[in-house]
Amino acid sequence: MEAKTSTFTLLEKAKAGDEQALSLVFEQYRRRLSVLVHFKLSPRSRELSEVDDVVQETYLRAFRDVDRFTYQTPGSFLRWLSSIADHVIVDQVRYRNRDRRAGEEVPFRSQSNPLGPEPVDTRTPSRLLGQQEAVERLLERLNGLPEDYRQAILLAKIQGLSTAEMAECLGKSREQVALLVYRAVKRFRSLCDRGEA
Amino acid sequence: MDDEHELRLAQSFADILDGRARGEDSPELVGELAVLAEIDRALDPAHLPERLSGHKIVAEIGSGGMGRVLLAIDEALDRKVAIKTLAPRYADIPAVQARFMGEARAMARLSHPNIVRIYNLGPAEETPHFVMEFVEGAPLTKAAAPLTFEQKAELMNKVAAAVGFLHQGGMLHRDLKPANILVGADLEPKILDFGLALDLGMHERLSRIGEIAGTPEYLSPEQARGAERLDARSDVFSLGAVLYELLAGEPPFRGETTVELLRSIREQEPALPRRQNPLIPKGLQDICLKALEKDPAHRYGSAREMADDLRRFLAGEAVLAEPAAYTRLIADKVGDHLRDLESWRRDQVVSDTEYEGIRKRYEHLLEREDAWIMEARRLTLPQVSLYLGAWILAVGVALLTFFRYRAMAGAPAVLVAWAAAAPMAWIGIRTWKGGYHRVAIAYLLAFCVVVPVSMLVTLEEAGFFHSLTHANANLELFHRLGVDKQATNAQLWWALLAGLPVCWWLRRFTRAPVFSLMFSSVAALLCLTTLLRMGLIDWLDNDPGRFYFRLLPCAALFMAAGFGLERLGRPDDSRYFYPFAVAFTWAALSGVATFHEPYAKWLQATAPWTRGQIEYLFIVNAAIYSVLDRICEQLASAQVHMVGRAFRFVIPGHVMTSLFLLGLNANSRIEQRVFEWLLPAVACVFVFASIPHQMKNFFASGLLFFAIGVFRLQQNVFPDRAGWPVFLLGCGLALMVAAANYAPLKVSLAGMLKRMSR
Repeated sequence: MEAKTSTFTLLEKAKAGDEQALSLVFEQYRRRLSVLVHFKLSPRSRELSEVDDVVQETYLRAFRDVDRFTYQTPGSFLRWLSSIADHVIVDQVRYRNRDRRAGEEVPFRSQSNPLGPEPVDTRTPSRLLGQQEAVERLLERLNGLPEDYRQAILLAKIQGLSTAEMAECLGKSREQVALLVYRAVKRFRSLCDRGEA
Repeated sequence: MDDEHELRLAQSFADILDGRARGEDSPELVGELAVLAEIDRALDPAHLPERLSGHKIVAEIGSGGMGRVLLAIDEALDRKVAIKTLAPRYADIPAVQARFMGEARAMARLSHPNIVRIYNLGPAEETPHFVMEFVEGAPLTKAAAPLTFEQKAELMNKVAAAVGFLHQGGMLHRDLKPANILVGADLEPKILDFGLALDLGMHERLSRIGEIAGTPEYLSPEQARGAERLDARSDVFSLGAVLYELLAGEPPFRGETTVELLRSIREQEPALPRRQNPLIPKGLQDICLKALEKDPAHRYGSAREMADDLRRFLAGEAVLAEPAAYTRLIADKVGDHLRDLESWRRDQVVSDTEYEGIRKRYEHLLEREDAWIMEARRLTLPQVSLYLGAWILAVGVALLTFFRYRAMAGAPAVLVAWAAAAPMAWIGIRTWKGGYHRVAIAYLLAFCVVVPVSMLVTLEEAGFFHSLTHANANLELFHRLGVDKQATNAQLWWALLAGLPVCWWLRRFTRAPVFSLMFSSVAALLCLTTLLRMGLIDWLDNDPGRFYFRLLPCAALFMAAGFGLERLGRPDDSRYFYPFAVAFTWAALSGVATFHEPYAKWLQATAPWTRGQIEYLFIVNAAIYSVLDRICEQLASAQVHMVGRAFRFVIPGHVMTSLFLLGLNANSRIEQRVFEWLLPAVACVFVFASIPHQMKNFFASGLLFFAIGVFRLQQNVFPDRAGWPVFLLGCGLALMVAAANYAPLKVSLAGMLKRMSR
């Protein structure tokens, strides 16, 4: 999962003010974050706030707060992004019908704001997801899983938690978690096989 | 599998996930690990090349079964470009690689504002790729969501026109779907990603269908069947599916699995868009359903035609699309109704006439005509101008046959005449093949008319067939007309003869019945010209009766031709011969009665009291019509029955006009009285004779002549007798009362008759 330039090095550069580096880190995790956000949003709220908006806002806040992040394990950056995304979703629900407060917003770089971050891309993440047939298929298959199996795969595979971390997170024994993950992946595999046929 | 074993597997699986063990040690988990690896492949940014074609690669924009699309910066021009690469597993197959590059080359030749531009092909030493315009925009359905129906139609019109352009360039898109049509902020759609659903050969195609087409919701039924040969109409179907989604908000076909979806595309009718949203304009629904016909022959012939129809919708005109889907929708229901109706008729709930009427109306509902025929019949400004143009051209050419020009004598005149004919045929055939049937018909009709005329000019100038009819210039039509150029009757005959095969061939080529009409018209003219060559003008001068007598064989000829064609199963051709047969018969019988002396002599010899008077001859004609009608009734053919009806139609006019005239010109007082009483009586007979065959004209003309008869009686028989009108008042009132109490009256009359007979 770790790319050739490690997340750690890139984050160190980012903290030192290298925006390009942060963009690169973000690029590495964007699809994973998008899939996580996709399932964090309930089907109803998915209609109201788009995955793209949440991911974009998460990125903006991460850009603002990157100094506060401390690297612990390979999965910690994604976990941090995921928790920011949780806040973003809560805020979006709270402020859905109001104008966002100006102070909370980090404006993108423009002529009037030369120090702002570059928008991730003109392409929105969900359009990215839409263009990726493999990702589309993945979303579809995850959707076909029971809720606890889906959570297990999201945590273990997408978010990249270790089984010990998952055990802590879910309040279960590591054995229970291992069994859950194993069964979830088995079910997922059967979905994949059926899709191929 | 026992619990312990599962627990052990789960444990080692967790170890592998946590990176504490390696997958190779657990062969039972290979499948599970493979699907997890697939997740990683889908989610982690793949390795991007540094540069392709010298452009700096920035990111991956999209990926599919065939390859990836990368975003790159063209540093020389400082602009973003998109680079399409071929997936490595195909890059090794030379045939696929050649197709990939070939399609890119073909695309590069096209330049259209709504089609993505190709900038260059990747050099041979790099991985196969080509560089194209980077389009910023949203997929069509997403971009169009907030738009009005008119704006959506405008977008689809541009898309369909662009696809039509693609087809003209000899290419099919094969994978039209909203994700492949991006709409920029200026609402200009751009089509991309075409030609990438390459034909990989049947076996691979079917096994990889999900991969090739991504979401197969927009595939055509023939694609869903895995047909090897596709044509432009397959893309038309996909355009229809895209339009459907624009209108209804969801794709026309659905399925839980790919297999189910493909079956639904092949077999199911899409729900009517207006069922989803009643605000959808009917015209757009028609266009959409016509494009979504399962049978390609029922769809638009080309994307261009679909674009034209959308343009018509936008211009506020009626669209041509008449989706067969409606017919099928009602056909089932109508079938049930017809069966009900049939049983009602058996049980006499409805009369036979009612049954026939309703059945005909139902059948009319089910008849479907090609859109272009409908359009060809509609009088619109372009349509009228088109035919006016054709007519002006034909008239212009016709001048060449009548007038001599010093500047254009001999060969030049012939050249000009054929120069008018040849382009008509050429343009006509080309536009027909291009799918513009309505326009093509006008050109081909003009050609049909111009050919005999040009032929005549040629014969005139060449001097062929110049011998005169009976060596007498006076018998020549053109001589009589007193025009400059004097074509002989023989030349006219040959020129018309040359027109016949042209009409026949055009009928076969276009299958348009209008050329059957042309054929029968030219044949009728040929008949008349034959009579010309036999001395028609001489007869008209000296004994017109002979001319009309000789029209009878022509009538018989056309009747036989019509009947023969109908028997051969070509009712669309035969229906144009019968009207000529009827017209010839009418003209011949009336002319013979008026002018043919032997006819009058025959009548005088048979019935001396008639003195061979013309009025009696017309009554005899009416009898002949009646016999002809009876004969027609015996033949089992709806068209011949119509011919019989046409003969029957003129009977009351013939009979009652003759009686009226006989009464006026009577030789004796008694004779006059007879006819004066006969006229209203016969009129009443016709009024009642309208009942069996529902002849409305029998009824109407009967009423009219009854009134005339009553007036004549008042004038000549009852002058100054007030009793006559009072009697009529009484009669009318009595009849009305009797009619209102028809049933009791009939019963009491029957009872009375019974008692009397006892």
